[in-house]
Amino acid sequence: MLLDLSEEHKEHLAFLPQVDSTVVAEFGRIAVEFLRRGSNPKIYEGAARKLSVSSDTVQHGVEGLTYLLTESSKLMISELDFQDSVFVLGFSEELNKLLLQLYLDNRKEIRTILSELAPDLPSYHSLEWRLDVQLASRSLRQQIKPSVTIKLHLNQNGDHSTKVLQTDPATLLHLVQQLEQALEEMKTNHCRRVVRNIK
Amino acid sequence: MELSEYVQKGFQMLADPGSFDSNAFTLLLRAAFQSLLDAQADEAVLDHPDLKHIDPVVLKHCHTAAATYILEAGKQRADKSTLSTYLEDCKFDRERIELFCTEYQNNKNSLEILLGSIGRSLPHITDVSWRLEYQIKTNQLHKMYRPAYLVTLNVENTDSRSHPEISFSCNMEQLQDILSSRNASNNQNQDH
Repeated sequence: MLLDLSEEHKEHLAFLPQVDSTVVAEFGRIAVEFLRRGSNPKIYEGAARKLSVSSDTVQHGVEGLTYLLTESSKLMISELDFQDSVFVLGFSEELNKLLLQLYLDNRKEIRTILSELAPDLPSYHSLEWRLDVQLASRSLRQQIKPSVTIKLHLNQNGDHSTKVLQTDPATLLHLVQQLEQALEEMKTNHCRRVVRNIK
Repeated sequence: MELSEYVQKGFQMLADPGSFDSNAFTLLLRAAFQSLLDAQADEAVLDHPDLKHIDPVVLKHCHTAAATYILEAGKQRADKSTLSTYLEDCKFDRERIELFCTEYQNNKNSLEILLGSIGRSLPHITDVSWRLEYQIKTNQLHKMYRPAYLVTLNVENTDSRSHPEISFSCNMEQLQDILSSRNASNNQNQDH
């Protein structure tokens, strides 16, 4: 599968052959750093001054590179496809090799970052539990009522939330059985076939 | 068991065969238990033809007194001797004491369940549902290929009677993690 690069994108990337390969490597590093932490416009100004070009040009160059890397990582395109996609830009052999290396080195990490952008339900973080016995309440004395108190830690979009819940031993047994069944499902032939064949 | 003068007066009236004959006494006693334990019971519980001849104010007073006493006895888990002592103090005859104790014994379990269910507690998990999915792609990331579980806990709140749900996603390892904690707490349960 080849990448489809728009005219505007090609224009932005046209800046890259005009600079040294070390500069391109540096831009690559900045691009990945921006993906990790968010962009920092001050960096553009510093680089623009050093290279004697406008900071807009630098910005477009870095952004073009970022988009190239993220699209390639998202689609998980093969080496060959990447090389063919970049070929249309008419860059030198050396630059093409550099871009390919940049892609392969950072692909895994970029995919991890992209996976965090998916629509997110609260996800499980950890669980603590405690066994209690209720002995009395305002309305009834001399009780023996066992209960399990559970603290569920969840993550959503970087926020950590906790929920404190309670259940009785019978329900706990039922919950365990249900979840064990859920886990067993992955081992069935049906699921195994799906995992094997959809790649 | 500390009971108010109102209750005591009500019982003294109830003890008097002149105000309440055997039949009326039994009916009132049953009505008291019914009002407490039967979710559908309403004011009509005292509308029995054999109770019509009694002054409604007296009827209400005795009914309230009996219900109050029953609740207090249930709360304190009173035994037969405690019940008998108090009823004797209110001048109940032997037969009426026996009747009261028998009725109390018959309804004791329901009473205790009712009292035990009153009160605040943490949101209580009642059920769990799960969904196993195989993630293929998102708009940000293609070719994902990983299984994931979506677990939903059905939770009940005693006060608000609301049924919020708690849903979260997890992968296989995390589900294993949950199960090993749950099994550990299960084993603790069984040991004790």
